[in-house]
Amino acid sequence: MTHDATSLYGFINAKLRARIGLMRQSHSIEDLLKANSMVEAVSVLRDSAYTEVAQAYDRTGDLQQMELVLLHNEIEMYREVAKYLEGKPADFVSMLLGKIEEDNLKNAIRLWYSSIIRHRPMRYRSAYLFKEKILSDIDWIALINATSWKDVCKALVHSPYHVIVNQFSQQQIQETGLFVLENKLDRQWYDQLMASTNRLSSTDREVAQSIFLIDIDLKNLLMMVRFGWYHKMQSDVLGSLLLPWGKVFNSKEVHMYVNASAETRDPFTIIDRFYPGLGSMVHQVAEEKKGSVHPDELVALQNLRIEGYLHQRRQAVYHKTLASDPFTIGVSLAYFFLYKEENSMIKAILNGKYYGYDEDYIRGVLA
Amino acid sequence: MNLFTRPMKLLTAVVLEQMSDSVVKALLEMGVMDFVHINKLEPQQMEKLSSRPSSVSRVALEDMRHRVEAMLNQGHIQLPSNDILDVKNLEKPDLDAYKATLDALGRKLLTLKEEQKESNQQLLGFEEMRRYITENKGEYLDLRVGEITHGSAEDLASKLATFGGVLEKGNKEGRYITLTLRRDVSQVSPLMDKFGWVETSDPDQQKEAVVVVSQRLEEEFHKATTKRGQIEEQVYAIVKEESPHLFAIWGNLRLNELCDQIRSYFSYTRNTTLFSGWVPADQSEAVTNAIFQSSDGQCVIEWTEATQVPREEVPVAITSPKVLAPFQRIVNNYSTPEYGSINPTIFVMLAYLSMFGLMFADVGQGLVLMLVGLLVGHDYKKNPLKSDGMLSRNLTGLLVYLGASSMVFGVLFGSYFGLSLFPALWFNFDAAVEGHAQAGAIQNVYDILGLTVKFGIIIIYTGLLLNWINLFRKKAYLKLILDKNGLIGGILFGTGLYLGFGFVKTGYKSFPSDSWIGPTLTIAIVLLFFRGFITYGLSLKEGGKKESLVSVFMESFMEWLIDLLEIFTGYLSNTLSFMRVAGLGIAHASLMITFKELADMVGGFGGVVVFIAGNLLVIVLEGLSSGIQSLRLNYYEFFSRYFTGKGVAYEPVGLKTSFSAHK
Repeated sequence: MTHDATSLYGFINAKLRARIGLMRQSHSIEDLLKANSMVEAVSVLRDSAYTEVAQAYDRTGDLQQMELVLLHNEIEMYREVAKYLEGKPADFVSMLLGKIEEDNLKNAIRLWYSSIIRHRPMRYRSAYLFKEKILSDIDWIALINATSWKDVCKALVHSPYHVIVNQFSQQQIQETGLFVLENKLDRQWYDQLMASTNRLSSTDREVAQSIFLIDIDLKNLLMMVRFGWYHKMQSDVLGSLLLPWGKVFNSKEVHMYVNASAETRDPFTIIDRFYPGLGSMVHQVAEEKKGSVHPDELVALQNLRIEGYLHQRRQAVYHKTLASDPFTIGVSLAYFFLYKEENSMIKAILNGKYYGYDEDYIRGVLA
Repeated sequence: MNLFTRPMKLLTAVVLEQMSDSVVKALLEMGVMDFVHINKLEPQQMEKLSSRPSSVSRVALEDMRHRVEAMLNQGHIQLPSNDILDVKNLEKPDLDAYKATLDALGRKLLTLKEEQKESNQQLLGFEEMRRYITENKGEYLDLRVGEITHGSAEDLASKLATFGGVLEKGNKEGRYITLTLRRDVSQVSPLMDKFGWVETSDPDQQKEAVVVVSQRLEEEFHKATTKRGQIEEQVYAIVKEESPHLFAIWGNLRLNELCDQIRSYFSYTRNTTLFSGWVPADQSEAVTNAIFQSSDGQCVIEWTEATQVPREEVPVAITSPKVLAPFQRIVNNYSTPEYGSINPTIFVMLAYLSMFGLMFADVGQGLVLMLVGLLVGHDYKKNPLKSDGMLSRNLTGLLVYLGASSMVFGVLFGSYFGLSLFPALWFNFDAAVEGHAQAGAIQNVYDILGLTVKFGIIIIYTGLLLNWINLFRKKAYLKLILDKNGLIGGILFGTGLYLGFGFVKTGYKSFPSDSWIGPTLTIAIVLLFFRGFITYGLSLKEGGKKESLVSVFMESFMEWLIDLLEIFTGYLSNTLSFMRVAGLGIAHASLMITFKELADMVGGFGGVVVFIAGNLLVIVLEGLSSGIQSLRLNYYEFFSRYFTGKGVAYEPVGLKTSFSAHK
């Protein structure tokens, strides 16, 4: 049964907007930052929407168990929104959940890699993985108990990831690590995402693509800085990493940048071309820190500045979406972003408190 | 309970500065003064006054209190209430000492939490192997039975522990069993070789080994679970042990916060302290005595009657008995009534309960509502730490009343879980809905609709009457006579009702043509037109701004037009709005009739299930709808007649002043 946009999105938008309103009213993040210790930080969560996270701390005292609860809640949040939608928008939301599955898979493979290839016993760490079904039929137990790459592939045989993992051999993984594999998995998700947006109605497609194409542009810029400039990757490898959509990928300057020799690459011109002013901001970091930090650290700081700026841009895009047509997929996408952002902040602050960092330091990292 | 808002008096006092601390304590203990800033003095006098910064900032006090609360929360200890506050215990807060106490306690708890984390990780390791055994996933396990020919068993056990594995003595002398995960085999095998492990090929021993190692795993798992739980309990116990100290700190911090709040209203000259605030008139003598005693008579006190101050500046105190608390909350949620007006709580109670009862009349279902209210309320009392669920604490109190109302109307309408077990004391609602009522004034749905419209008229007139009393007390005579909710409005509404009922009486053919109707309507409408001119005249007399005649005429004309529209459409829609009471009552009866018929059709046990499920559905859905509709009728149709909501709430500073338990 087909529904018009108002009846399809009316209810879920009202629900999500109410939640967004509560998120904005909430002082949880500020209170968490001000907490003097982990115990006090947990107290902030106790009477909030994160009460289960506080209960996990009471029961186990284990930060990673708290993170597992946060992950579980995030998965449930996607499922709940998908439940209130129907048809292609519901499929689209489920597809977004695929990113969590893919990240979980990457974590599981990293654990496997650490245990089998690097001979670091996994022990209890597998318990921090989400092992219930998210979207695909993945035998998580078989995966973490795999003693060979063949077993890993077997555990994924009924999932869409099998095609990719099967392209690799244990020897390749042993020699080159997981970087290429992980990038291929990421790329597969983006392929599915873009294909999925094409199945949406024209209005939804426009909204979803306007958001995700900016996301892809930002990701491509980051990869050019991180891998093309900081890690000085070869042209062919760098070119294969870029996501083939968006303004950035399709620009001449980017192709020239990728094809240039690693030593002569200057990412700031390209960044300035798309985000005027950011290049000079990054140069300013170099000026401020010159001599006081190691060159490697300086590059890392510049990288962080770019990431922070791009994150702000992403934030602005989602906030703009909230103010646009309410009867599109936009409100749901903005809610996912805000929810994830809050979740990440909570995780980061709890980690900061656990390791005894003070409020100012954590604020600095989060900024 | 006061029928009207409590009369108030404004106190202004001057005390010697050295006495100000004891005056603060006395006022805090009394907790009846709603302080106001002194800003009504002449500018020259104001120049001589100054404020004093607090020695400790209130924010610092609050932050420290929140830290104490966080610790108590970690111990799952109910936060202290205002009841523990005693002015006699007030001390200068030593924030450094408090910080040291909290830091030390925090460190102790974090150490325990770290141990708990380790236990948890051990537990997770054992749990994984245990699960593989119980779920027959032996392929993930590496079980070995054999002998150690080099080194000691203890050494091997500790080395295996780094893989989360276990070593257990076998049933035969010198035999050992090891259990690790197969994924670690590439590291475990070389380790076993180092200890000269010789594997046995005896299949019986292999079988026995599974049992032995399962027992060991079970033991280890329970040990780790117990330890983890014990640490959790230890954390609670430590906080509990510290709680008297924490309560004392909390109490002193809270007292200092309150004192600081009071002092923030104080103004100072070189030697004196000035303050001012509203006090209920019946408390004024006690306050005078308290200030006098605490300042050793070194004070000057002046009282100002509320009548000498603009009404909208006087805070409004309403006192209602505790049993009326749910209805007081309904009023408070709407707004604060104007000073000197009628306390609406009792009227809201009567109106709300009768509306709900008419919509949801059933003895059985009412009893269920009442029991739910009582049981959930009791559960909240037993578990004060429990956070509010879908049925909040406030709602449980209201449910008890709603249940009682439903039961009373159920008896009047003869409905017991939708069954007519006893004859109705008034009329059988279900029979009227089904159209087979035998006798009486109410025989069909039209009669029910008529009844609720009449009920609405009573509610609206009650609202008007309350408004007239309020206006009379305010001496707003012009408004009393010439307002849409004044006497003119009442007359027009009454005339409209007479016309309406007359029209219905003739079978919707003609309106009554009594000789008084025309003149009454004409006079009322004309008088209403002159209200604007009279108001302007009165404002001129009081020194108001002079305006052109055209502007006065246009303004009066527009107001008159809008008033007329509001009177004719507003009163009509408000009256017809009460038909929703009949609508929901009929829906309630119809649903119960349907479920009864369904139950009869199914018959036997299934029929009983259908009947019970139907009742539950009706209780939830109809109960909710009736509750919401009653609230709407109160807020919109009833309150709009007399409740201006222009009042300022009376908020005295005292030991009972509410505080936020969260940052």
